[in-house]
Amino acid sequence: MREEGHEWALQLIDKMQVEGLTAAERVELEAHLESCAHCQKLAHQTEQALRAFRAAAPRFDSSLVLRTQMQARVRAHEIAENAARLRALWISCALSWVLGVVSAPLMWRGFEWLGQRLALSRVEWITGFALAWIAPAVVAAAIIVWRQAERAVGSWQ
Amino acid sequence: MARGLRRRDPALIDYLIEQYRYRLFRYVLMLTGRRHEAEDLFQETWIRVLEKGHQYKQRWKFETWLFSIARHLAIDYRRRRQPESLDALLQPVDSGRALEVEDTASASAFEQAFQGEEAACVATALAHLPAAYREVLTLRFHEDLELEEIARVVDSPLSTVKSRLYRGLAMLREWLKDMDV
Repeated sequence: MREEGHEWALQLIDKMQVEGLTAAERVELEAHLESCAHCQKLAHQTEQALRAFRAAAPRFDSSLVLRTQMQARVRAHEIAENAARLRALWISCALSWVLGVVSAPLMWRGFEWLGQRLALSRVEWITGFALAWIAPAVVAAAIIVWRQAERAVGSWQ
Repeated sequence: MARGLRRRDPALIDYLIEQYRYRLFRYVLMLTGRRHEAEDLFQETWIRVLEKGHQYKQRWKFETWLFSIARHLAIDYRRRRQPESLDALLQPVDSGRALEVEDTASASAFEQAFQGEEAACVATALAHLPAAYREVLTLRFHEDLELEEIARVVDSPLSTVKSRLYRGLAMLREWLKDMDV
């Protein structure tokens, strides 16, 4: 063992607790500890400190578990409700889109007829048709964005 | 478990809260050093587990994921209450200020939180350790996590985890030696 052996032994004592030692390191440390009362004391103090640390038990309020379980159930219910609402919204969006596609030719003719009756230019009645056709999707998208923004603010708070 | 968490199965959540109650509470208490804060974080962590259950991967140990969530919440919690200490929070070891207990002189926060014969001695020692050291010590010596798992929880390189463990252990030994535990 070198002169700086105490420092080295202390490193091994700590390493034994933190990472574990190789077989060779263990043999060398044991040999040093057998002949060195100072390092033996350090090893003992380390073990004592860790034993005390491990034994320190926080007081636990058992009602905290019940309160947390209750909160979790309430939150799970809220999430399920929100998911159901969102699902309904997506379904109505999809239905609205299908209806929009199916009814597009009829709407086109309707707007064309209205444009002629009101003496509108082609650009005007086509613009009217486009706005009427995309309106449901725009409203649905706005609702979804609004709800997501609301949820983001809620989770931040 | 992953499937149950994805489905937000209430029975599974109840079981997990019961199963991990003590370990999670001890971890957040070590992290914050304040009992009321630890209780708030305990509850918030389980709500987050419920909300983010779909992100849990079976290949991870559940406790690693759980502690990691609790840690992020603890950082957010402190950030919301003490925005000025954000830098300290992100560099806990160097600053030595982050997540420390309010009254380090009396160590009353830890003394109130712990029970057992040597509680007062250990409480005083813990109150003098920076939170970053307390955290890795509890993950290693209470939770018996592997060093790589600790690195994942604290989101730091392995070398940082080792250095915190060595320094924390040395400080703990020094404090408890003086108290003649």
